[in-house]
Amino acid sequence: MDIINNLAFGFEHALTVQNLMYCAIGCVVGTLIGLLPGLGPLSTISLLLPLTYSIPTDGSLIMLAGIYYGAQYGDSVSAITMKIPHAASIVACIDGYQMTLNGKTGLALFTAGISSFIGGTVAIVVLATLSPLLGEVGLMFGPADYCALMLFGFFCVSFVTTGSILNGLAMTLIGILLGSIGTDVNSGQMRFTMDLPFLMDGIGLISVALGCFGIAEIVKNLDNHSEITPFNGEIKLMPTWPEFKRIIPSALRGSVIGSVMGILPGGGPVLAQFAAYAAEKRFSKYKDEIGHGAIEGVAGQAAADEAAARTSFIPLMSIGIPENAVMALMMAAFIVKGVQPGPNMIATHPDLFWGLVASMWIGNVFLVILNVPLVRYWLSVFKIPFSVLFPSILFFCCVGTFSINNSLDDVYITATFGLIGYMFMRLGLEAAPLMLGFILGPMLEEYFRRALLLSRGNFGTFFTRPISGTLMALIGIFVAWQLIAFFLESRKPKAA
Amino acid sequence: MNNLNFVRGLFLVAISLLFGLTSFNYKMGDFSRAGPGLFPLVISILLFLIGLASVIRSRFVTPVPIDYNFKNILIIIVSLAGFAYISEHVNMIAGIIVLVFVASYAGQNNSMVRNVKIAAGLLLVACGFKYLLHLNLPII
Repeated sequence: MDIINNLAFGFEHALTVQNLMYCAIGCVVGTLIGLLPGLGPLSTISLLLPLTYSIPTDGSLIMLAGIYYGAQYGDSVSAITMKIPHAASIVACIDGYQMTLNGKTGLALFTAGISSFIGGTVAIVVLATLSPLLGEVGLMFGPADYCALMLFGFFCVSFVTTGSILNGLAMTLIGILLGSIGTDVNSGQMRFTMDLPFLMDGIGLISVALGCFGIAEIVKNLDNHSEITPFNGEIKLMPTWPEFKRIIPSALRGSVIGSVMGILPGGGPVLAQFAAYAAEKRFSKYKDEIGHGAIEGVAGQAAADEAAARTSFIPLMSIGIPENAVMALMMAAFIVKGVQPGPNMIATHPDLFWGLVASMWIGNVFLVILNVPLVRYWLSVFKIPFSVLFPSILFFCCVGTFSINNSLDDVYITATFGLIGYMFMRLGLEAAPLMLGFILGPMLEEYFRRALLLSRGNFGTFFTRPISGTLMALIGIFVAWQLIAFFLESRKPKAA
Repeated sequence: MNNLNFVRGLFLVAISLLFGLTSFNYKMGDFSRAGPGLFPLVISILLFLIGLASVIRSRFVTPVPIDYNFKNILIIIVSLAGFAYISEHVNMIAGIIVLVFVASYAGQNNSMVRNVKIAAGLLLVACGFKYLLHLNLPII
């Protein structure tokens, strides 16, 4: 009954007027920006991160979490109504948009809303049960184990986000190198600063994130010359009882799949959606309809999406290692606020931890209210043309970077990273692993040096300890499998 | 030359050399007592190997042409830099105007009236940030 006590304690903190307000603002703003073309959760969080600096710790984290799952949800609304292919909700485009074509937009949105609610609720139970347990495991981790875990995470993220492990790893490594710019903590040596004083503290996280995600995304949209046609159809929200009955089992299946996929390294919402959709295709009673606008095709993935968005907080808050790029940004937000996420977080900041967990459920309720009865108002966002939108987004990027240090130098750095991010994009290199590498790089170096100091330079320490040994073995299997795939693929065109 | 895989490989090699060669300027130490240069060097070597692998591999797979268009990105960069420069030396009102008008060249239909409206709207937002949220923006 510990969980109930803890959750009650959390709700006490989350239900203050102030925190409720921050949660509501986070959900509204997240949904709003998530709806906009080209801006997914990553760009939304990096855009709004600076604005939370002046808010109290618990409020700002609650708000950021709200922004994250709000953006995740807003994304699926634009996917269902207009098939805007966002990275964050590709799967919703399949059956959701098909339902719109069949004239069932309202039903699709209702299904997505309710399933997300179910998914979020299941995930919070998982989060509340598992985090403290995993936190205890986290306490057994030594420097070598942390190193191995981070490496394992890099491999998984590279593979999941890009499909090509080489490109993903390359981006992670570039991220680590960018992260090493600035003063070396152990020796005080300036590294790669080119004697520029504003690089002494390293490159600002916000500059990198806004450049690679905000500005590069805007330019990509400008290059595409695509004007979207706003959705103007009828929306009839309430489902009939037999329709409603079809939502529940799929949503429950999706919630479980999403919760598991959210915890795995490199996992997260995107992977969870695909897994849940595949599961529905196989196990649903109506599997023949999936792909042609079936309720199950929307319910399963929407539940998995929201569930994974919440359980992906587990590795961050219990072990202290973010498992994907969004969580890496969240980790940065925690650290800015003076909270070190990790095994000790629950013990040292119980109010913050349980308050955040409880706020996620409150956010769930907000999202349902916002998105089910009010959804038609949201859709008017699309009536704003992109040519009005993008100068405003650029301005917000500028204010965001400026307000961190009250320095306009940071705007130049952001612009530079916009150019670099654009080049990466055109070269087919995904920026998400770079972000993870950038944030974890300094930590990896620290643990790497500490592990080798403890073992007197003996690399065996990474392989002989049980935890790191297991992780290293998994990486080995992964690499071997990739090498085989690599050679097979290289041969294909010759044979053809 | 217009081969995405090949250029990507070269790009990665270039970055690895940039960081790798610079790290020789810093003390290396040894693995039991790593100096500041050691870790970046290790990472650069790994990146170099990946870049090399990409270059070699590009010889064996069908070439993919690069799709690029530097016009829009350069306009956006100039507008951001212009915003920073003008805001620093004149004030942010002028900065916003520069930002909106330069950036609008990247759009498809450029309209004077609309730009004025956007700039006015953003100025209002900026005032809101300064006087309601107490951000320290150099508006005037």
